[in-house]
Amino acid sequence: MSARTLSYGAAIREALEEELRRDPSVILYGEDVAVYGGIFGVLGGLGEQFGERVFDTPIAENLIVGMAVGAALRGLRPVAELQFADFVLCAADELFLKAGAWRYAHDGAVRLPLVVRTASGGYGFGPEHSQCPEAYAMHTPGLRVAVPSTAADAKGLLKTAVRCDDPVIVFEHKLLYPVEGPVPEGDYTTPFGRAQLRRRGDAVTIVAWQDMLRRALAAADELAAEGIEVEILDPVTLNPFDWETLLDSVRRTGACLVVEEAFRTLGVGAEIGARLMEEAFGDLDRPFVRLAIPDVPVPTAQHLVESLVPDARAIATAVRELVG
Amino acid sequence: MDDAARLGILRRALLARRFEERIIQLSMAGELPATLHPGAGHELAQLAALAALRPDDPMLYGHRGTAYWIARDLPLERILCDIAGKEGGTNRGKGGVMHVVDPTRGILGESGTLGGNFVVGVGVALADRLQGRDAVTIVFFGDGTSNRGQFHEALNFAAVKKLPCLFFCENNGWAVSVSARVSTAVENIATRAVGYGMPGVVVDGRDVEAVYDATLRAAERARRGEGPTLIEAKVERLLGHFLGDPQPYRSAAEIEALRRRDPLAAYVSDLRGRGQLDDAGLAALERELGELIDAAVASARSQPLAAVDSARENVYAT
Repeated sequence: MSARTLSYGAAIREALEEELRRDPSVILYGEDVAVYGGIFGVLGGLGEQFGERVFDTPIAENLIVGMAVGAALRGLRPVAELQFADFVLCAADELFLKAGAWRYAHDGAVRLPLVVRTASGGYGFGPEHSQCPEAYAMHTPGLRVAVPSTAADAKGLLKTAVRCDDPVIVFEHKLLYPVEGPVPEGDYTTPFGRAQLRRRGDAVTIVAWQDMLRRALAAADELAAEGIEVEILDPVTLNPFDWETLLDSVRRTGACLVVEEAFRTLGVGAEIGARLMEEAFGDLDRPFVRLAIPDVPVPTAQHLVESLVPDARAIATAVRELVG
Repeated sequence: MDDAARLGILRRALLARRFEERIIQLSMAGELPATLHPGAGHELAQLAALAALRPDDPMLYGHRGTAYWIARDLPLERILCDIAGKEGGTNRGKGGVMHVVDPTRGILGESGTLGGNFVVGVGVALADRLQGRDAVTIVFFGDGTSNRGQFHEALNFAAVKKLPCLFFCENNGWAVSVSARVSTAVENIATRAVGYGMPGVVVDGRDVEAVYDATLRAAERARRGEGPTLIEAKVERLLGHFLGDPQPYRSAAEIEALRRRDPLAAYVSDLRGRGQLDDAGLAALERELGELIDAAVASARSQPLAAVDSARENVYAT
């Protein structure tokens, strides 16, 4: 397989187009999906190509996710879009209580092969359209949670999600849609539960994904110039979470920093820190550290958002303090 | 509706009533957890609606009683085992009586949070339409549940897409202890259908023929691709919301008056009047159903509690 360059958004579109073509049981719908091509312009042309299998819905998030549960119960593989990740809270009943729990409640009598795609993070959208609410989904048994950070993973993880027999929520990051990266030609899937080491190093294990991964990589370059080599782990999926790769990395580096674009209290980093206390206490030479949004809602103005979200400088500073 | 169909509904309604009475007895004696929401007074409407559908048409059932499953001949011991958290049920203690399931009989589930049935049901109907099946989905709910937001989201879109879906309201005038008089602005839930561009029909839930005919017409319409219907059956909730509900919200006289208007007793009289049932026939039927229930109780008693290890199973398919 040779590689070419695609944007993260184009990779998502390609995954959906290929899956819609491959499997007639796949349907795709949501607000502004069919005609407009998705509010972030990712799905252009799919509505024309696939007729009634790609359709627009009303502004009705309970319906959007609840309908996915019902359609999955009857043999379809729905891919539903929640326009903004904050809307998982609008559809909380259907996402957390139905998609997450119905297979269990019915003791495995049903499968729920559904995908919810949604866009998280960024700035300029305000407190109700900017959250990265992965922790809610990660907290809920029964849901698979993917957080693609690269164009290649955006495509490969989405294909895995569509073919998965469990409900999957894919958090796509708004700021990554235009970002280009190498994407293999042809059909491929990216496995769930296999973290990627985006950079090798011995000083600190940094866990970061999506926009925080970009910032961590920038900080790593800065730190390398000072002779500090950090290891950067991209979890790729939060459920399943690749604890083995994380623990292996922390055993080598003896330190861990989680950077997340979400509220600090009970975020993904809190779970990672707790796990390290339970399973790697003896391997940690330094205290576990988190960088996250302080516990305030996400403001609208870009400069205010930037004052709260960890940036490369804050990451580099945190690493220096850790290893110093 | 022919004589056989009428007797079939009587048989199932009587079975649901006697079975529920036994469940209440076992619950009050402490042998079963008191988790059933009794359906006494609703059975005829539920069974008449389901008699008008095919035996595998998908159903999102409500929480009143056991008639939904009896309509599909789900063995009684499986229901008892679900209540008891035993092996031999449909969900081995995970979902209990709220989540009885058997997809081969069209028994797809029930939203524990009221209102979830609407949106899940629309997805079921959508999938059947897209896959070329001519099934009709029925979504049961109460008047109280019609005040949830999902009602609006689901009925609107079902009508937009002309989906083969029936929304069947069992209106008993009560949401647990809250009267429709203080919770609901309209007398008839079915009038809300106007706002969704679908037909709304009000029927007397005591009138088996009327419920059957309304459901059959709506199902035929749905199978022709003409879209959903909102059917409202006026019913009476003879018992409390849950087992042991002291019902401080209605008077003893009111409850007694309800009992005297028991639709099942009226249906028995009706069939006697038609010459379809006599004392001997009724006694024989009662005996037969009693034996069926005894056998189910004995079978459920012989089942072990769900294995503790199973509490960790079936969270994921992958």
